[in-house]
Amino acid sequence: MSMTDRFFKTREFRKLFRNKSAVIAMLVIAAYLFTALFVMCGGITRETCDTVVGQNKMPGFFIQQTPEQRYENATSKFLPMVQRALSRADQTAALADVRLGQERVVNKSAAQLQAIIDRAIELKNELNQSEDLDADSARLPQLKALEDQVAMLKAPLTGWSRLMQNASLVLGTDAQGRSIFLRGLYSIKIAIQIGLVTAAFCVLLGALLGAAAGYFGGWVDHGIVWVYTTFSSIPNLVLLVVLSYAFTDSEVKDTLLPVYIAFGATFWIGTCRVIRGETLKLKRMEYIQAAQTAGFSPFYILVRHVIPNTAHLMLINFSLLLIGAIKSEVILSFLGFGVKGQPSWGIMIRDAGNNGDVVSGFFWEIGTATALMFALVLAFNILSDALQDAFDPKHV
Amino acid sequence: MFAYIIRKLVYNIPVYLAIVLLVMILLRQRDPVAGLLGKNADAKDYAAKKQELGLNRPFLIQYGDLLRSIFTFQFDEESWTQPGVTVGEKLVEAVPRSLALTVPALVLTSLISIVVAMISAFNRGRFLDKLLVFLAVLGMSISFLVYIIFGQYFGAYQLSQWLGRPVFSIHGYEPGLVNWAYYMLLPVLISVIVSMGYDTRFYRAVMVEETQRDYITTARAKGATRGKVMFVHMLRNAMIPIITRIMITLPFLVTGSILLEQFFGIPGMGYVLLSAIRNNDFPVVETFTAVFAGLFILSIIATDILYALFDPRVRLQ
Repeated sequence: MSMTDRFFKTREFRKLFRNKSAVIAMLVIAAYLFTALFVMCGGITRETCDTVVGQNKMPGFFIQQTPEQRYENATSKFLPMVQRALSRADQTAALADVRLGQERVVNKSAAQLQAIIDRAIELKNELNQSEDLDADSARLPQLKALEDQVAMLKAPLTGWSRLMQNASLVLGTDAQGRSIFLRGLYSIKIAIQIGLVTAAFCVLLGALLGAAAGYFGGWVDHGIVWVYTTFSSIPNLVLLVVLSYAFTDSEVKDTLLPVYIAFGATFWIGTCRVIRGETLKLKRMEYIQAAQTAGFSPFYILVRHVIPNTAHLMLINFSLLLIGAIKSEVILSFLGFGVKGQPSWGIMIRDAGNNGDVVSGFFWEIGTATALMFALVLAFNILSDALQDAFDPKHV
Repeated sequence: MFAYIIRKLVYNIPVYLAIVLLVMILLRQRDPVAGLLGKNADAKDYAAKKQELGLNRPFLIQYGDLLRSIFTFQFDEESWTQPGVTVGEKLVEAVPRSLALTVPALVLTSLISIVVAMISAFNRGRFLDKLLVFLAVLGMSISFLVYIIFGQYFGAYQLSQWLGRPVFSIHGYEPGLVNWAYYMLLPVLISVIVSMGYDTRFYRAVMVEETQRDYITTARAKGATRGKVMFVHMLRNAMIPIITRIMITLPFLVTGSILLEQFFGIPGMGYVLLSAIRNNDFPVVETFTAVFAGLFILSIIATDILYALFDPRVRLQ
């Protein structure tokens, strides 16, 4: 029986897998991990997230668009783009450059395109005479004709590009016409990445320092307790903000490094405390005393006997830290001190607030970010509870 | 007891020195002078400003100055972004505003979540308990931001539209007890809803653990009713972890809720601190963090002492 086998086939793990909600939570988490992996392998890039795919603030798939919205949709992005390209000296090159998400200009001569545009503009001007299209059902055929004209400008989409275009519009667009769905998915990668890196680093650091403090006692203990009391005496959010502020002008400001450092400096403390307490308990156990009597080095005892026996606590803390990191990332990004230059749930929520989405009743962007985050955090909360029940039932 | 307090205070001096040092070092990773001067400043202005702010002094002197002002409570350094206003004045102004938000929130949260936790613990394992626990987990899984944004939208904006007159303020603050409900009640309620999940779960766990102890069995065996055991025997013993948890949150009352203050435009300590970081106002950031850290350390010592007072088994050494 291998080492991992022994760990995973214990009574505790069997108890964990019997817990139905924990299994569902693990499946949800697996789906998120899979999406993050897909994004990381280049499925959705930063550029894709910044591409304009349609009209600004377009509602998502199941909302019947009002005539006003349909009018905006038809006239606001693609039509002026083609118009502008036609007026340029290097017509062919400019036309080839026109792109709206996956949409491209249809392969027709400039004169043909101009004819379509002239007809569209004519229709547009007629529609403009109407005060309120929503109330003016007589003009619906004209609107339909306008939409047809604009559709004639677009090259028909097939296969993958059609799928991508439909997918990117499924949850609507934000105030700059970027796809909310793609940005939301990309944010999964950011959240998972930050969560995993932070949790892995902090659990390892916290476990090592906590075990060392508990096992050696004396000055090592005093030193480590001193360091974490210092860090925990500054309000967490203030420390995070000040830490990422320190990096604002540096070269790494557009990477995730400032966020990692800020989280890495603060999040190990909880784990360190727990593992230190557990080590103090373990130190008095007979098998540790036996190892000491047998003359093993303190380092060997620490690595071979103490730390493996805190593995269950490390597992629980890993799950808890992931939740903490994901939630803090969103708040930090929202305040403008976290992720920069790429989408994240916090940035999506901030954009939605800044562009008056909520006040005007456009909930697609904030709703997407919230729902994606909620499902992930809920799954981790349920999993943490189940882990705690299985491995550390006496915990308060 | 007295010796214990002295020893604890002495023990925490290095911690405190390190906190102040850490904040100063982190702040000085950036150059605040250029940001404060604007774009059209030349090298001479720059040097003069640096001289004026005292940033060209050796680091240790700056550190010593800050420590002296903290330990003598002389917070008379001027704010860099608001000339003429001292840090002390800002502190005195900001703290009551934060307290007006956080104290009612803490009291309400604690009362409600203790009651809910008791209901849950009393019905342990039954449907109501499971429902409450599940609701707590649900509540914990929603981001603070979402509570605030939707709370502000529905509570302040939509409710006012619906009733035709403003009920709660969307943004802004005026001092005075009369205005309290208008500006503060909504943030307080949001804060209560946010913390409910965490607190209820914790208090329930504490109570459930208490109910498994021998003295509860004894009390039941000698014929005490479940209600009496719950309220008289169990609650009194569960008070110790509950008080600890409340004590630990006390220093955070002063910093207020940074996010709530930010959203509702309440210029409390969190709001001032955050805008000071954004605007490179070093004296404000340093003093505010130092004051907070001091309160934090003191309250931890106070918790230990309270422990000893409440629980005769605890000996301070």
